[in-house]
Amino acid sequence: MITDRSLGAWEIVSVTSSALIAEWILSAAAGRTKLIVAVPIALAFILIIYSHVLRGENARDLGFRLDNFFRALKLLLLPMIVIAGISLLIGWLSGSRPDFFRWHAERLILFQLALGFGWGFLQQYVLQSFMNRRAQVIWGRGTASVLVTALIFSVLHFPNRWLMVITFVGGLVWAFVYQRQPNLVALALSHAAMTWALVSTLPPSALNHLRIGLKYFA
Amino acid sequence: MNSKSGGRLVHLLISKSIVEALLIASVAVAFFFATTNPYIRGVLDAADKASVNGWVVDESRPYARVEVQLFVDDHFAAATIADQFRPDVHNAKRAEDDWHGFVFSTPRLPVGNHEARVYAVHSNGSGARRTLQLIGKPYRFRTE
Repeated sequence: MITDRSLGAWEIVSVTSSALIAEWILSAAAGRTKLIVAVPIALAFILIIYSHVLRGENARDLGFRLDNFFRALKLLLLPMIVIAGISLLIGWLSGSRPDFFRWHAERLILFQLALGFGWGFLQQYVLQSFMNRRAQVIWGRGTASVLVTALIFSVLHFPNRWLMVITFVGGLVWAFVYQRQPNLVALALSHAAMTWALVSTLPPSALNHLRIGLKYFA
Repeated sequence: MNSKSGGRLVHLLISKSIVEALLIASVAVAFFFATTNPYIRGVLDAADKASVNGWVVDESRPYARVEVQLFVDDHFAAATIADQFRPDVHNAKRAEDDWHGFVFSTPRLPVGNHEARVYAVHSNGSGARRTLQLIGKPYRFRTE
């Protein structure tokens, strides 16, 4: 008989492996057609959604809500300011001048921020509404599940060392906040704002255009 | 979660793993054939301080001349086309004509032991990738 905790672990491993397959194996072999990368991603989303249904999780449980938006934002604000300040300091010490328009400079910054919000929302949904919640099935609410969620988020950004460190720290903050105030809109806003701050302040060579997986070496 | 839902989830997890394993296997096979030409045949016959020579044939295109690259001690040394006169290869029925040999002038090397490797250059269908396939075996030689 498989316990609920074992199932939770299996689900985490399965979705993580889908992301790694897309990042490392399929994107290397995809050549001109990127459609093949969509296969493991689609499979992961089928699993995630079906798992929500089977476990009886509703949208509100998952963080699709607005009633706690400001409470979540309040928890996020201080760590965001601290991280942005550290990032500015590192950039300044390494001789990089802040440029708030270099995040995909070919696009309008508002459009890029909107894209960043959407991409952040998707990542936070998978990371928090699925990974974090399954980690809580195994270890319960608290340090262990927050650490595991952050660690998974960091590993998915291998081998970009700077990004791994940043995503681990960000993962800790977001997982901690989600366990107290599950709100995906606030987390996605924070995700987009932090990405913008980091890209604008840290040396571009350190972030390597936010590339991860095999593309890091491209 | 009740046992019925748990059972469904297990089935989905197993199905997903099978589909992903099949997908990876398919990509691996496709990648092998995109980056490797299984019809390349050849031998690095000899290498010394003066020259490196041998022959190479693409059996899928027996009248085509294969591009080859010489590496000495793991460093690129030269590139050429295998289009030199080698009637012995033809006589041994390894090629359809006499013109599949290659000869490189050995670059200036310090005294000591060295290793020469010759690779056939393989372009995939669209020409987006170029990969190298070792011809025969590495050839070790000594310069005095």
